[in-house]
Amino acid sequence: MMIRVKLIANYREALPPEAKHGVVELDVPDGTTVYEAISRFDIPLNDESVIVLNGLTVDMNTPLVEGDMVTAFSAIAGG
Amino acid sequence: MYGWHLRILRVNLTTHKVTTEDVDPKIARDYLGGRGWAIHYLYKEMDPMTDPLSPENKLIFATGPLTATPAPTGNRYMVVTKSPLTGALAHSNSGGEFPTWMKRTGFDMFIFEGKSPEPVYLFVNEDQVEVRSAAHVWGKDVHETTDILKAETSADARVACIGPAGENLALMAAIMNDKHRAAARSGVGAVMGSKNLKAVVAMGNKNPPLHDPEGMRALSVDTSKNVGADVKKGSNMRIYGTSYVPQVTNTLGILPTRNFLQGTFEHVNNIDGDALKNQYLIRHTPCYRCPLSCGRLTEVPDGKYKGKGEGPEYETISSLGTGCGVSDLAALLKANYLCNEYGMDTITTGMTIAAAMEMYEKGYIPESVIGQPLKFGDHDAMIEMIKLMAYMEGFGKDLAMGSYRLAEKYGHPEIAVTTRKQEFPGYDPRGSQGMGLLYATSNKGASHMEGDVAYEEVFGVPVKENPLTTEGKPELVKHFEDSFALMDSSGLCVFVAIRYAFNKDRMILPERLAEMMNLSTGAGYTPEEALKAAERVYNLERMFLLKAGSTEDTLPHRMLHEPLPDGPAKGKVVELDKMLPEFYKVRGWDEKGWPTKEKLMELGLPM
Repeated sequence: MMIRVKLIANYREALPPEAKHGVVELDVPDGTTVYEAISRFDIPLNDESVIVLNGLTVDMNTPLVEGDMVTAFSAIAGG
Repeated sequence: MYGWHLRILRVNLTTHKVTTEDVDPKIARDYLGGRGWAIHYLYKEMDPMTDPLSPENKLIFATGPLTATPAPTGNRYMVVTKSPLTGALAHSNSGGEFPTWMKRTGFDMFIFEGKSPEPVYLFVNEDQVEVRSAAHVWGKDVHETTDILKAETSADARVACIGPAGENLALMAAIMNDKHRAAARSGVGAVMGSKNLKAVVAMGNKNPPLHDPEGMRALSVDTSKNVGADVKKGSNMRIYGTSYVPQVTNTLGILPTRNFLQGTFEHVNNIDGDALKNQYLIRHTPCYRCPLSCGRLTEVPDGKYKGKGEGPEYETISSLGTGCGVSDLAALLKANYLCNEYGMDTITTGMTIAAAMEMYEKGYIPESVIGQPLKFGDHDAMIEMIKLMAYMEGFGKDLAMGSYRLAEKYGHPEIAVTTRKQEFPGYDPRGSQGMGLLYATSNKGASHMEGDVAYEEVFGVPVKENPLTTEGKPELVKHFEDSFALMDSSGLCVFVAIRYAFNKDRMILPERLAEMMNLSTGAGYTPEEALKAAERVYNLERMFLLKAGSTEDTLPHRMLHEPLPDGPAKGKVVELDKMLPEFYKVRGWDEKGWPTKEKLMELGLPM
């Protein structure tokens, strides 16, 4: 199934060159979780990162469905 | 005592008489400094019902015990007064260089009273204090004023001043320092203008003596290393300033778009941090002694938006940009530069124009009144409105009163997205419930700087909270409000101080912040005492607010009754009634939101 991963700001360095505006499309097996999808990228997988599914706060073991968007960014002081 | 000079400069602008006073060390300790000292004096000396633009209002510039010390980002000052925009308390914070230069005069705080018969500026070089004519700079913008006053005083001086917006009493007028930095919110610049005070020029060599200089140096080096490690890792703040945030808030569906009619902006990629970095960034411009360096010099090199200056920050992008539906980055930069030159708060400026755009599109304000079309996304019209506001010309007279008064005047108060008549910053609280409670109860009207729970709800600092739930938010808001009162009183910048507002278990217990305060002052605060002092400050501000007649903790119509139509928070309104009663209990206030006698006694505050 196709899902999308969006990385924001400095995390974009971990994206492949074909990514546009920080978004890359991935073909992943059914049952892939949020954690498994984001693990494909070289970003910290601890509380240094904020990871959301379709903009929502979810358990990292939530299985993805077709068309989902997983977004990650560095947890840091804001605006 | 160390860290503080324990000296105040009092300037009577009516008589041009200048006096100095000592500060009681007990008051110094109990109220921390900066914001805390300022409310102590304001509450003691001024009737909260005072007309904000009358000579009876007082305008206070206040540094903290970490300002002008080696503490990284120990370079902030607060402007505290009664706000003409909100009728409530104003406390606006700024960095740059001026705050350190101000404290090096040997005074912690300047109190301005009365009204000068003609335009003046204050020059302070340690004990040389002069109220001088400002006739030659009245009418000039912030950049020109700064250059002229530095040229006629000293290249070693630093300048805080108002531009045309402050002179003309526009209610979103800011006080600008070092040209590009702003004590922006709540119309503090209009108070300065009402006093005929054009500028404050400060210099000197009186660094405050420190209780433990070696300890302070060691802790500062450690802090800088810690921040430096983040910078090396590619800290967003260093690369983007806060301009990366639109992508975050857009993802969460809380990016104010078209006057909060939407929570996502379809053109966000045109105006985000990467677009800015790739097209217009020249270099980083840190505040004095800041290892983080979130400031950025930018330039639009040619074309009709040609200009150069600092910014935009996130709050400017979410107000003048997405708030107005504007997706042209060059035009947005030009609008930002103009606001800095005229001396205007970009949040209230942008969101007031946004409200006018909505009212124009709905037919509530005719084109004949505005003088031109004013549709969402029309960046040229937005730029024109900024000019009209600063100079109070035509429709600018209506805009310069802010969106609350504008919407009320044209018969549609439901359009204004304000609390206590102050425009919302860049987090739609329908998708960030804690922010909703914060905006409703803030002592200064809607503001993220009053206790930015978006750190947890949005940015995951120190831990990620679900922004759509209400459980636990009253406690969270209280803790953030108190810790922000502590940071604002200390003289540190929130961007670094927030790291030290939590203990090692990520609970809100400011161990390192208290340690820094102690190394500076020798006051021996425990972290609990420092937080209790901050709570004292917050409650005294609350008393000022209530006695000023601003007693209703609520949110505007849109936030309570119009569900978000798009994004992850689609269908949500702010569930304020689920949080407010609990918040009052957590605060030790009665069911109407007044601090109880017991709470006032516990904090040692007057009844």
